Amino acid sequence: MVAFNQLLTLTRLTAVEAIRQPIFLLLTNACIVLTAVMPMVLLHQFGEEGKLARDSGLAFHFLFGLFVASYAACSSLAREIGSGTASAVLSKPVSRSGFLISKFLGLGLVIFAFSACACMSTLMSERVAERLAVTSNAGGYVIDWQTGWLLVCAPFAAMGVAGLLNYYRRQPFVSTAFLVLIVLLLIVFGVSGWFDRSGNLSSFDLRVQWRIIPASILITLALIVLCAIALSLSARLGTFATLVCCFGIFVLGLLSDYWFGGTGERSAVSGLLYALIPNWQHFWRADALAAGGLIPWSYVGRALVYAGTYSAATLVLGLLSFRTADIR
Amino acid sequence: MTSEAVDRDEGSHETALMIEAEGLVKVFRDFWRRPKVRAVDGIDFNVGSGEIVGLLGPNGSGKSTTIKMLLGLLFPSAGSIRVLGESPQDVTAKQRIGYLPEISDLYSFLTPRETLDFYGRLFGLKRKIRRSRIEQLLEMVGLTHAADRQVGEFSMGMKRRVGLAQALVNDPLLLILDEPTAGLDPPACRQVKDTMLAMVRRGKSIVLSSHLLADVESVCDRLVILHNGRIRAQGSVKDLLTQSDRLSVTIPVLPPEKMKALLHALRDHIGEEPQIEHPSMDLERFFLDVIEHAGDSPLTGAGHHEGIARYLDGTE
Repeated sequence: MVAFNQLLTLTRLTAVEAIRQPIFLLLTNACIVLTAVMPMVLLHQFGEEGKLARDSGLAFHFLFGLFVASYAACSSLAREIGSGTASAVLSKPVSRSGFLISKFLGLGLVIFAFSACACMSTLMSERVAERLAVTSNAGGYVIDWQTGWLLVCAPFAAMGVAGLLNYYRRQPFVSTAFLVLIVLLLIVFGVSGWFDRSGNLSSFDLRVQWRIIPASILITLALIVLCAIALSLSARLGTFATLVCCFGIFVLGLLSDYWFGGTGERSAVSGLLYALIPNWQHFWRADALAAGGLIPWSYVGRALVYAGTYSAATLVLGLLSFRTADIR
Repeated sequence: MTSEAVDRDEGSHETALMIEAEGLVKVFRDFWRRPKVRAVDGIDFNVGSGEIVGLLGPNGSGKSTTIKMLLGLLFPSAGSIRVLGESPQDVTAKQRIGYLPEISDLYSFLTPRETLDFYGRLFGLKRKIRRSRIEQLLEMVGLTHAADRQVGEFSMGMKRRVGLAQALVNDPLLLILDEPTAGLDPPACRQVKDTMLAMVRRGKSIVLSSHLLADVESVCDRLVILHNGRIRAQGSVKDLLTQSDRLSVTIPVLPPEKMKALLHALRDHIGEEPQIEHPSMDLERFFLDVIEHAGDSPLTGAGHHEGIARYLDGTE
């Protein structure tokens, strides 16, 4: 029970420390604003506006998520080891395995929260996108400006509210802004349901493409795998070396099919590398959503098993390495 | 050695060994596993129950490396260590250890209250005890007024106080302090020493590493002096520092004719000129007296230092 409470305490601390870092709020806000703005600035895309908004939203989710996952993992472990913070914690009755696992769980929570924001933004962004609307009188393109502007304003409003709370109640600015942002995104999400695409009040209908959610979940899984890799590397390497390795693994994983997974005859080394390097293509399924396509939940389930197994294996290696590491 | 340490020395008695280190060696290696530096080179020392042992030495002498091996943070290359009868890697032994690192790099986005609560939870302290201790410790280190500000905004001295408070939150049986007075103002330094003495009176043991020789001398029972990873001198402060072939006698100031006669008699008996001087108060005592008489205005932005936390001096 004590070990479980310790795990909860460390997990909570990891999550709180991560969301109190200004870079985290900056990356989340940038992701949301860019996702929101994209459909409003893209014009005349020959009916591909929805696809562009969706693909852009998912791409921003992936891109900013990579920064969030790798930076948070590095600052959470490598920086703590380097600065001596980890030595203060590990001098307490905390096992090294519990310490590393709680770091992973805490960062997993942060990635989940970031992904929830990114997913909501993508859902709304796709709704904002210009569409060809044909009525009995006329035909033309319409854009949901109300939802678009509400979405763009949400991060700024969240920072404004957090600023006031910081001034009057001394609440920590960054984490408060992030929590308010989640609430505001939910409000924008709900409010948008009361407007039709032309901005007129109508009966409640969210009109969002729920099929985006499986694609977002897949990206979240990819981020969690990357986080596990970054944490495991951080057990031995410094921040910079970990980031460089993560970038290398990311690039290799993106090109894994091309370099190691050809349909022709593979060498044993290629086969081994193909099996060892995480294949990010499994997690990027935006193309499957084109032309009304769906990502089957069974596929998401298999990806979940793959990500879970890969993360667990990576963490076990990290743990073996961390157990014998000198904490200076 | 001051009267505080002498008083305890006379009544001290070793009952159990808190730390046993034998043939301790630590070799740091480079990326290719080649030996880079031999930070600790075959040291043996013990720490008994109810004593304060000072680790002294210049920079790079192996003090912090030794301490980190005691805490299981570094793995010895050779030799053996028992801390509270267990291996330093044993998590249960750490339940009774308090540690103040040399650099108090705390979680910068937490407040002192959150920091202490976090460490209290790691020790599995119940909420009521945790809250009581947190308030007592914040009061003790003079940070009650800054308890809800983020630690990242603090000066080095204030961070050091939070670091000290976290080391004491579990009321440890063995306290390991690495440069505890670095960055602290004199009242805070005095309080750290008073806290150590109060804890030792309750049978706790303390390992103190410091560059400040006066601090070590005033509180420690025994010294271990390290240089280049080896022990160069070891023993009780009294044994190491006493000049057994000399004696000083303190007497009231006498009228000149009596003084002259006394000196004459002394000169006849010892065959050399005796040294006469007025005993002086040490600077720390003088400074603290000045501050005490200066009134109630806060000494620093960090706030007042209150007495020792009740649960630490055993009055709770």
